[in-house]
Amino acid sequence: MICCKECIELLHDYLDGELNPEIEASLEEHFADCPPCIAFVNTYKSTTRLCKDTLKSNDIPDAVKSRLKEFVDKNKNT
Amino acid sequence: MGFSDPTKDKAIEEQLVKDLQAGEMRSFEQLANLYQKKIYSLSFNLTRNATDSQDVTQEVLLILFRKGHTFQGKSAFSSWVYRITLNASYMKLRSRKREPSVSIDDLLPSFNKAGFQQEKIQDWSESTESLLFDNETREVIQKAVDLLPDKEKVVFILRDVEGLSTEKVGNILELTIPAVKSRLHRARLFLRKKLANYFGEYKTRKESK
Ligand SMILES: [Zn+2]
Repeated sequence: MICCKECIELLHDYLDGELNPEIEASLEEHFADCPPCIAFVNTYKSTTRLCKDTLKSNDIPDAVKSRLKEFVDKNKNT
Repeated sequence: MGFSDPTKDKAIEEQLVKDLQAGEMRSFEQLANLYQKKIYSLSFNLTRNATDSQDVTQEVLLILFRKGHTFQGKSAFSSWVYRITLNASYMKLRSRKREPSVSIDDLLPSFNKAGFQQEKIQDWSESTESLLFDNETREVIQKAVDLLPDKEKVVFILRDVEGLSTEKVGNILELTIPAVKSRLHRARLFLRKKLANYFGEYKTRKESK
C-alpha cells in the first residue's frame, strides 16, 4: 500500500488525470481508507479555486483605463 | 474585447501581429485593447499596486509599439508579451523594499517515518463559499499569495490564476514541464497550508458556538 506522502507528491498529476491507470488505482485505494488524505485533496482543490476567484478579477480601474487610452491615442499618431 | 472562440482569437491575433510587424499602426491600438487587461492583471498580482501596474502596462505597450515590428515570431506573441510584462514588474519590485518571503519548506506537509500524515487535517473545503466575497478572506488569500517565493509565485499566477497551459508557462519562463509542475505543486501546498490555518480556525470557531 502506498503512503500519504507518495499520494500527495502525485496529487498534481492525479488531479490532471495524468497518472498511469495502475498508479491512479493505488492512489484511490489509499484514499478510500484515509480520511486525512481525502480532506487534503478537497482542501488542495479548494485552495486553487479560491485563489483563482480572488485574484483573477483585477479589472483595470476606470481612471487607469482612461489614462491608458490617452497614452495609446498619443502614440498611435506619432 | 468580446471574443470567445479561441481559434478565432488566435487568427485575429496573428493578423494583428503581422500588421504590427509591417509597421501598420492601426493594429497597435487593437493589440493594446486585446492585451492591456492581461498585462495589468498579471502586473497587479505581482506588484499589488495600481500605480506600478499602470506604469508597467504603459511600458509594455510602448515596447509593443516601438519594437513590435522586430518581433521574430519564434515563440507565440502572447508569450513575448507576458515575458516583457514579468520583466517590467520585477523591475518595479526591485526598487521597492520587500518583506522577506517565507521558506516554502516550512509549510509543506509533514509525514511520519512510514510516510503517513502527521497533522490533523481538517476538511474546510465546504465551508468557504460564504466567505469568498468577504474582505477579510480576500485579504488573507492575497497575503498568502504575496508570501510565495518569486519562482513559485509566478508559476502559480500564470497557471492557476491566468489559466495558461503548463506548456505555455514553460515556454514563457523557459522551464521544462516537470519544473513547471513541481513549482506549481509546491505553491499550491504552501497556499493550502496558509488557508488551512485561516479556514480551519474559522470552522472550529463556528462549531464550538
Ligand atoms: Zn493518506
